[in-house]
Amino acid sequence: MKPGRAVLALSWLILAGAAARPLAQTPAATPVDLFHDDVHAQAGLNCESCHKAGAPPYGPIDRTKIAPLCAGCHSNAEYMKHYNPQVRVDQYQQYLTSTHGKKMSTGEIRVATCSDCHRAHGIRAVSDSRSPVAPRNVATTCARCHSDHARMSAFGHEDNPPEDWKASVHAAALLVRGDTSAPTCSTCHGSHGAAPPGVTSVAFVCAQCHVREAELFRKSPKKAIFDAMGQGECLTCHSNHKILKPSDSFIGLKEPALCATCHTDQMKGVQVINAMQKGLSDLGAGIDRANAVLDRAVSAGMLVDDGRLVLRDAREDQILARVNIHAFADTPFAATAAKGITEAARAETIGTTAIGELRYRRNGLAVATLLIIGFLATLWLKIRRLPPT
Amino acid sequence: MSVRTWLYERTPLASIEEAIDHKSIPRHRYMAFYFFGGMTLFFFAVQVVTGGLLLLYYRPSASEAYESVGFIMRRVPFGWLVRSIHAWSANLMIGAAFAHLFSVIYGHAYRRPREVTWLSGVLVFFITFAFGFSGYLLPWNELAFFATRVGTNMAGVLPGMGDAIVHFMRGGKDVTGATLTRFFGVHIAILPAITTVLLALHLVLVQYHGMSLPPGEEARARQAGKPVPSMPFSPHFVLRDLFVWTIALALLAGLSAFLPWELGKKADPFAAAPAGIRPEWYFLWMFQALKYAPATIGGVSGEFLVLVPVTLGVIALILLPFLDRNTPRSRRVIKVLATLALIFMIAMTALALLEKAA
Repeated sequence: MKPGRAVLALSWLILAGAAARPLAQTPAATPVDLFHDDVHAQAGLNCESCHKAGAPPYGPIDRTKIAPLCAGCHSNAEYMKHYNPQVRVDQYQQYLTSTHGKKMSTGEIRVATCSDCHRAHGIRAVSDSRSPVAPRNVATTCARCHSDHARMSAFGHEDNPPEDWKASVHAAALLVRGDTSAPTCSTCHGSHGAAPPGVTSVAFVCAQCHVREAELFRKSPKKAIFDAMGQGECLTCHSNHKILKPSDSFIGLKEPALCATCHTDQMKGVQVINAMQKGLSDLGAGIDRANAVLDRAVSAGMLVDDGRLVLRDAREDQILARVNIHAFADTPFAATAAKGITEAARAETIGTTAIGELRYRRNGLAVATLLIIGFLATLWLKIRRLPPT
Repeated sequence: MSVRTWLYERTPLASIEEAIDHKSIPRHRYMAFYFFGGMTLFFFAVQVVTGGLLLLYYRPSASEAYESVGFIMRRVPFGWLVRSIHAWSANLMIGAAFAHLFSVIYGHAYRRPREVTWLSGVLVFFITFAFGFSGYLLPWNELAFFATRVGTNMAGVLPGMGDAIVHFMRGGKDVTGATLTRFFGVHIAILPAITTVLLALHLVLVQYHGMSLPPGEEARARQAGKPVPSMPFSPHFVLRDLFVWTIALALLAGLSAFLPWELGKKADPFAAAPAGIRPEWYFLWMFQALKYAPATIGGVSGEFLVLVPVTLGVIALILLPFLDRNTPRSRRVIKVLATLALIFMIAMTALALLEKAA
């Protein structure tokens, strides 16, 4: 064997080994063992369905030929509808538009192909939580390559998007709260057609979920400014992968507020920023005060469900006010914040009234206790003065 | 003609007054136990009055029960107080009834000629638990709903007729609005009617036979060759009873003001049972014993094997006057068995409470 081919074969083996790492969870598992649980085995396929040439034991399939091989069935609508009438058959077309597919078609075999994400054997349905492409596992699957600094630096990628994503509000929703509708890598980048969205289309990606924010932003004065500056609309304030939980402290003219990144107190828009900061601050403080007073009432045994309901309305207005910030204008933010502040004050009043009522009850009890003690003392004296028996 | 004279001519008040004047209460070192019966009666009277007031606003349906109790606690003047007193008084009544029952057992007050007094009393005692069990569900909150589901399920372990009993208690397969309506009817009509008859009989018999004297005190007086000291029922004992009732009233007021009875979350029959579901404290000992029972022993349900001795114990308790031969030895055996039962119940309740605290 020529040295060049030997190096190539060795590199391929290393890559194949890396790709097969998740399968190594049971060291003794052979491709045949893994295939027992494979969705294809359940559909009645066998080794020869993919390993069309040669005889067992089969060798690995050439990486550049894996996607076309899968597409042989998965792009055939007539064939696939026998197994699932609603299944998609455009995965290969999508793959060819992805960065992975484009590079693979140039012969770059270090990029991902079907078996890298779905496994070669032991493939499970996406809806199966054990699948490496099930929502909770997607980021880990992507991270196998995208968190591998040595592998990524070869393509000029220095950062670590999966690690950044793990610190995001989206990861917290998916991994901590178990909300499988929360976005993971494939939600924004696409799965088979995975590619960076690009500055011009990132807002459309975010708008898939954040509909109202996107609608307000598109009508806002900021839209034209960001377009002219060539800035990725949402990314400018929220970043791309490490999207932190939004906070009211984002708004303001002093560091670390996000507005302060571009705005100074001498620039246009100061009044709007200040009004928003005050509105959010007053609303947040009002909700905290109401919550504290209602908690005190509840811990003292008072029933303040009506106050809790009003406070819930105030919290909904707080969420809406935070959304309305994306209009970058007084309207509709000011009205929503004012409504929330009024509701928080009402909830606080209900709590304060309950605590006042509690005080009234305890005072009443003190008076009743005094009367009872007086009555007991009188009774005791009367008993003592009874003639001896 | 004065009202008094008018009444005396038409009612047996004169003879009642005379009977009261001549009635006396034995004085001895265990005399304090006599007050538990009166205290139970006092709490029962509080239940009748506060229950009647709650009925003015309570609505017995799955869609309105929780809201109506919330309305009573929030909007009705002193509704919070009435509801809290009703709930606290129910618990204190059961506590007082327990103390009364055990004081009667330890004093052997059930012995001849008080067998019927005992039977009426012990039946009222069990009806008190039925009051507690049926009343617990009425606010239709989460804890009560799931505790009732567990409680009614227990009848299902009875071989043969268990499922039919559960179905009858629930008014269907599961705890639903039909169960609530059923429990309400039982709580405010059937149980009070039976209790009124049994309690009236019990009180008349207590007055008829007078207070029982513990055998030890009886023997002591006999040895000394002196009659047992006594005090007049009126006013000496009545004023002492009134003193104890006033303390009970102060306790109720304090508990209701400082620890108002919670309403909790509305029952959601489709929700999963929350953690820590448990019955009221007076059923905790059995709940804990059932928890320790293995699923099956020799093919027989563990729950069944716990419930059988409990049921036998209940039957033995009812028939106690007929089982006790009224000899010093039989009295000692009954005292030992009562003490063991008491220790078992206290230990199981303590273990359940410790588990909760942990």
